[in-house]
Amino acid sequence: MNKDLASGLLLLALAGGYFWAAETIPNSMLDDAFGPRGLPVVLAGLLAFLALILVLRGVAGLRTVTADAVANDEEDDGEPDAALPRALGFLLIGAAYVVALPWLGYPVSIALLIASIALYERARRDWRLPAAAIFGGVLFWLLFNKLLGVAQPSGVLFSALFS
Amino acid sequence: MDSLGLIWTLSTTTWIIPAALIGLVWGILGGALPGISASITMALLLPFTYTMEPVTAIVLLASVYIGAEYGGSIPAILIRTPGTNSAAATVIDGYEMKRQGRAGEALGISLWSGFLGSMFGLVMLVTMTEPLSWLALAFKPTSYFGLGILGLSVIASMTGGSLVKGLAAAVVGLMIATVGADPIAGINRFTFGVPELLGGVEPVLVMVGVFALSELMVQSGASELYELKEKIRVRLPSWDVMKRLKRSQFIGCIMGLFEGLTPGGGGSIAAFLSYNEARRWSKEPETFGKGSIEGVAAPEAANNTVASTTLIPLLSFGIPSSNSTAVLLGGFLIHGLLPGPRLFEQNGDVVMGLYLGSFVAIVGQLLFGILLLPVCVWLVNRPRPYLAGFILALILSGVYTLDHSLFHVGFVLAMGLVGYLMRRAGFPFLPLILGVVLGHMVESSYRRSLVLSGGDHRIFLEDPIAVGLLLVSFGFIVFSLGRDIREARRARQVAKPLELKETHP
Repeated sequence: MNKDLASGLLLLALAGGYFWAAETIPNSMLDDAFGPRGLPVVLAGLLAFLALILVLRGVAGLRTVTADAVANDEEDDGEPDAALPRALGFLLIGAAYVVALPWLGYPVSIALLIASIALYERARRDWRLPAAAIFGGVLFWLLFNKLLGVAQPSGVLFSALFS
Repeated sequence: MDSLGLIWTLSTTTWIIPAALIGLVWGILGGALPGISASITMALLLPFTYTMEPVTAIVLLASVYIGAEYGGSIPAILIRTPGTNSAAATVIDGYEMKRQGRAGEALGISLWSGFLGSMFGLVMLVTMTEPLSWLALAFKPTSYFGLGILGLSVIASMTGGSLVKGLAAAVVGLMIATVGADPIAGINRFTFGVPELLGGVEPVLVMVGVFALSELMVQSGASELYELKEKIRVRLPSWDVMKRLKRSQFIGCIMGLFEGLTPGGGGSIAAFLSYNEARRWSKEPETFGKGSIEGVAAPEAANNTVASTTLIPLLSFGIPSSNSTAVLLGGFLIHGLLPGPRLFEQNGDVVMGLYLGSFVAIVGQLLFGILLLPVCVWLVNRPRPYLAGFILALILSGVYTLDHSLFHVGFVLAMGLVGYLMRRAGFPFLPLILGVVLGHMVESSYRRSLVLSGGDHRIFLEDPIAVGLLLVSFGFIVFSLGRDIREARRARQVAKPLELKETHP
């Protein structure tokens, strides 16, 4: 499936979902002629129209790209297929941080985040890995909690240990 | 005299000067890191500007942009890898000079040309934006609607690639902007019971996710390791060399001026155009590509000019013509400031502060450009896995500071995925960001106009500014459609002979 077709189908699904959600917007006594539902409905229709063009272009294999973009596309095609799973893995570590933060607290979570990303990005498994993680945890905690005065979560575990 | 008095007051009673210098330092360091563009360097700081005075925040972000333009030339010259896109043209002769043992001279020329380009750009910024302030009084809700549509159509059609993808990105941006309470009746839309969405989606969350996080995702797994062992010192050009560089720097400044004013133009196009023109007008064109000093001066003057002149359409009409100015626009919006004709009337102190801060950053660039070189070299040598970890930690921590909300952190991660998919599918970012930023203004001014006219659309035809802006928008769409069709035909013509070859070997 080429990029135009895939993105066209994805946008078509988005337009459909958005239109469905727009239909649930309630009316109000203060409504003007256009109303709160007006713009969302127009946008859903517009996106569906643009998505259909992309789908048709994808099906016909019509590529409206510049000569430079052709070259770029050739480079893109050379990208390994593992790129998306790898990028998703990166994102997953970020998501794990969000889950861990209320439990482990900020300094521990941020240290684990730095170590996990470094490992994921193939850092050497030597003394520098824990050193960088601990340094990062302390540095960010000092920067945000002390210097900027932003109370990052102390975490259930951290609070239990010190209470 | 009033302006001078205001500048004196601003410089003595606000944090403009420290902000300009901090922004400059951050910009040079961020720009020096390969793969971290000026817009990403700015986006990383965006969450921290929430608690600042508006003028301090704007100066900080604008100074980052100025610093990043010079910072980008450091790895371009030293390791043949431009730190920012606009430093790509500097690689050609800058790296050649480094190979000849003239790295310090190349860096000095880059710094000096960047200084001149930035200063020229600042003069142009001040002289070209001020007269537009008279427009403020003539603007009505209908004009603002026209302005919003113009911004979206110009950016969607001029950011390169396909018009359909540009428009689709703008529509998705507008969709994101409809989340939260609607601007007239106050009805909640697309909030799905999530309290964090009641106030709408903060543009800064979209910017950080789409620009910064998606870049880290794209670079994930990259294994480049740069090693730079030699000790290098910046050598500013001598008087004789300065005189030899005048022509190429002038060309760079002029190209930078025009590209800064052109939506979607940007520093990289200006740099390459000025490189070509400098070679054409040079007395020694044969030296280009072989370590020509003019080949470094022209692109560096150009991309630094753009860093200032690209603010002209932003301040005058609220149209960001590059990713970096889109982030700056985010900074304005965070503080409830809307760039455009009224900005000069209502927030003259912010505009004046921006001029002053930019001046301080440009002058400071000469000093910090020299002092920070060892730090930049040290940073470039750091292993990429640790840099990725620290940058992600900075992004996620910074986003949490906005509203102490883990939902926002999760939202940024989701926007990172959106940005990654857009990169892979060839969708431009700028229309999406602009849709998010302008969505509220477009909808509220459209509906407010209809309220004023009792639902009669002829109100838009009665405002000559709105008519003019909408006609120009229409012209941009038609022009881009024609361009896309021509390119599609050309692509098919190129493909035909290939097909014939394959079927008839």
